[in-house]
Amino acid sequence: MAVPRFGLRAVRLSEASFARLLVAPAILAIVAVVAIPLAYSLWLSFTDVNLLRGGGAAIEMFGMRLPLYRWVGLKNYLQVFSDPLYWDSLWRTLYFVGAFVIEATLVGLGVALVLNERFPGRPLMRSLLLVPWSLSRIVVGLLWIGILDFEFGAFNGYMQRLGLLTGSVAFFKDGFSALNVLVSVYMWNQAPFATLLFLAGMQSISEDLYAAAEVDGAGYWQRFRYVTLSALRPILFLVLVLCTVNGFLMLDLIYILTMGGPANETTTISWLGFQTSFAFFKFGPGTAILYTLTGLCLLLTFIYHRLILARFEPEA
Amino acid sequence: MATVGARPRYRGGSYKARSVKSRALLYGLVAVVALWLIGPFIWLLITSVSYQRNLLARPLPFVPPEVTLENYRMILGLVRFHAEGQAAKILPSMLNTLIVASVVTIVNLVVGTTAGYAYARFRFPLKTFSLFALLFTRMLPTIVLIPAFFVMFRALGLQNTLAGLVVAYCSFTLPFTVWIMKAYFETVPADLDKSALVDGCNRLQAYWRVVLPVSGPGLVAGGAFTFMLCWNEFVVAQVLNTKPGTTTLPPVIAAMNGQVNVDYSVIAASGFLGALPAVLLVLIFQKYMVQGLTAGSVKG
Repeated sequence: MAVPRFGLRAVRLSEASFARLLVAPAILAIVAVVAIPLAYSLWLSFTDVNLLRGGGAAIEMFGMRLPLYRWVGLKNYLQVFSDPLYWDSLWRTLYFVGAFVIEATLVGLGVALVLNERFPGRPLMRSLLLVPWSLSRIVVGLLWIGILDFEFGAFNGYMQRLGLLTGSVAFFKDGFSALNVLVSVYMWNQAPFATLLFLAGMQSISEDLYAAAEVDGAGYWQRFRYVTLSALRPILFLVLVLCTVNGFLMLDLIYILTMGGPANETTTISWLGFQTSFAFFKFGPGTAILYTLTGLCLLLTFIYHRLILARFEPEA
Repeated sequence: MATVGARPRYRGGSYKARSVKSRALLYGLVAVVALWLIGPFIWLLITSVSYQRNLLARPLPFVPPEVTLENYRMILGLVRFHAEGQAAKILPSMLNTLIVASVVTIVNLVVGTTAGYAYARFRFPLKTFSLFALLFTRMLPTIVLIPAFFVMFRALGLQNTLAGLVVAYCSFTLPFTVWIMKAYFETVPADLDKSALVDGCNRLQAYWRVVLPVSGPGLVAGGAFTFMLCWNEFVVAQVLNTKPGTTTLPPVIAAMNGQVNVDYSVIAASGFLGALPAVLLVLIFQKYMVQGLTAGSVKG
């Protein structure tokens, strides 16, 4: 094979040092933009942050002065844990995540089953799959306002027009209803990605398995249960984990749709941390709340790593 | 895979010709799925070319009685109206979003691709550990970093700058890109590099001159995905760039929604305009993105 000349001299590098050279920029960048801010946030969660006060201890290097504030130990965490709003938000988050995971997985799988059939226009349908997923959550929220609004929403308008509804449904008036709307809207945005994963999995199932099952007299549901579902098990698990993490992190939809209300009844942990930090500028308790969220994510990642990577990529 | 003769690839369902009833059921389900996927977005388009009074009309007409571009004229600053100050922010913020998303995409492709290649091909000390760390950063809530960015950027003078946003966006895009590219390079046969080495390339040349040129689909997948994430990002820009003229499109659209007495149809126009670039990008590169993302995810 003729290889064009390259400016660099043929330096002899061992495989490991060459690999380290390639990985170094990314690792350094991730240390700079993830690890250091993560550590600094952790530090802030143990201090009495006052954004207006400049004095006190600080790290000074490269001409910048990073304030360290006053160490207060576990005070922020104790304050957060003694606030009933935190616990309410935590249980609400668990409900939100549970409902979201179930909805997104079932709908994602159902849509994948439909799109896995043969019908004209299937490539087009698969393209449409990417539309809800590629929208900014701000736009997702906006367009669902257009459908669900009490006054001008299309849902109320057409349901009345079709005679299926006499009054108008106020989706955001009641806290529990608003929370469930958030679940479903987020599901609309995220389930298509689950469908993509399921479809990829379904396509790797050998057709011989279906043929054999059919010879054995298995009907549609039996083929689904014993062939499709058992082959999809790893992907199903992956979808469950990704949905769980995404559920815990959801924030922007709350901003555009409910702002945590009515009366804090759609306030989740991530929204509470966001509000405490950036609406009230209480960075100490705010980062403490957000760190409990990070702890949950670390736990999930660990489970994910053990069950997915360890099983399918033993040497990675 | 053994595919015998002209037998079509089996995709589920029955081999036998479908009965009329099951065909009808299938088409019905397909129609429902299509409506569910695209209906809400179409409705956004319809509202954005309607007058508010027609959206409020009860009974609601099935076909919009009037079509107008007035809402788009308003948000593009061609017509004066009471919220024109907010509307005037849309185009400049779109430019900001474009700049930030493009720079982040380039950084990700350069830095993330080389790392992904190394992870796919070589063994080196701390590989397992750094992969786990990468996976963790992928799962990390970006929001926990924002208070730190807030204080650090103030100290560095990066607050309210596009450079600051680029730095912050790399925190959640870079781990993804490395992961996607690692999965992609695992699908490129390692024999390609080996034969390049045999032909006298050094390792860098094998990567740069031989492997990279055939990796277009992976680069497109990683790049388009990064661009989409940046184009759509809201929370970081909302919190870090509060000075007028320094923020990106999603916070401006959200602020538009927060204004009193702005018709929904006008807000819908700004939302549709803002969503269009990302949707088109994803639809154009969908083939590569689906391959890249599913490979990246299935592998972990």
